[in-house]
Amino acid sequence: MMLLTCPFCGKRNESEFIYGGPVGADRPDPNAVSDAEWVEYLTVTPNPLGPVREKWWHARGCGGWFAIWRDTRTHDIVEVPDGTK
Amino acid sequence: MSYKVNIARQSLNALFDLKGSPAAILTWVEGALPALPERPNSRTRRDALDLYHIGRDHWIVRAPLGLEGRLETQLRPTDCPADISIVRVSDTLTFFRVTGLQAADVMAIACPLDLHDTAFDADAVTYSELFGLKALVMRCEGGFEFAVEQSFGDMITDYLTRATA
Repeated sequence: MMLLTCPFCGKRNESEFIYGGPVGADRPDPNAVSDAEWVEYLTVTPNPLGPVREKWWHARGCGGWFAIWRDTRTHDIVEVPDGTK
Repeated sequence: MSYKVNIARQSLNALFDLKGSPAAILTWVEGALPALPERPNSRTRRDALDLYHIGRDHWIVRAPLGLEGRLETQLRPTDCPADISIVRVSDTLTFFRVTGLQAADVMAIACPLDLHDTAFDADAVTYSELFGLKALVMRCEGGFEFAVEQSFGDMITDYLTRATA
C-alpha cells in the first residue's frame, strides 16, 4: 500500500487515487521544432530509472489533481531531485 | 462475528453543491449560510444548516428536506453568476448512520481512512472511499455518518448487513 499526500486532504490511501501518467514535457511550438523533436514530444513517454514526476487524481476524495515525484526503483515517493525546476 | 452497532439509512436531505472562490460565494449567498469552514475537510453549522468544505473552492450545504425550498429561494442556483456554481443535489446522495460501541470497528472494515479521534475530529468531514465507492464521511453523535451515491444505497445496505452479521 502506498500513501499519497494530497495538497488539500493530506495523506490518504493509494486506493482513493487514480494514476494520471507521468508529467510530460511542455508543449513546444510546432513551428519552431524539427519533425523529430515534434514526434518525440508526441510519442515518447518519460520512463526513467529513478525519480519520475507523476500526475495523480484524488478521484475518491477532493477531486483535485496534483503531481508527485516517485522513484521507479524503490516505489518511494521522494523529494524533488536536485537541479529540477 | 456480530457487532454492537446500529445501522440506519437516513431519509433525504436538502443538499446543494457550491463551487467557486470563497469571496464570490459569500457575495452571492449574503448570509444565507453558516460561515465558510476555514480548514479543508471540516464543517460549520448554524441552526439546521451544515456547510461542508470538501474540496478546493468546493462546498456542500446540507439541511433538513423541509428547508429545501427556502434554500433554493435564497441561493438562487439558476441565476447565479458564471464564476460560481450552485446545484441542487438533494436526491443524489443517501446517508447512513453507523452508531454504537463498535461503530469504529465496522467503519474500519469499510473505509481505509484513519477515523481515530486524533486524526478525524468531531468537525471533520471528507470524501473518502467506502466499500470501494466514493463516500462522504463524517462523525455523528455516537458514531459515524456517511453518504454514497443514491443508486448504491441498497448495495451498501447489503454490504453493511453482511459485514456485521
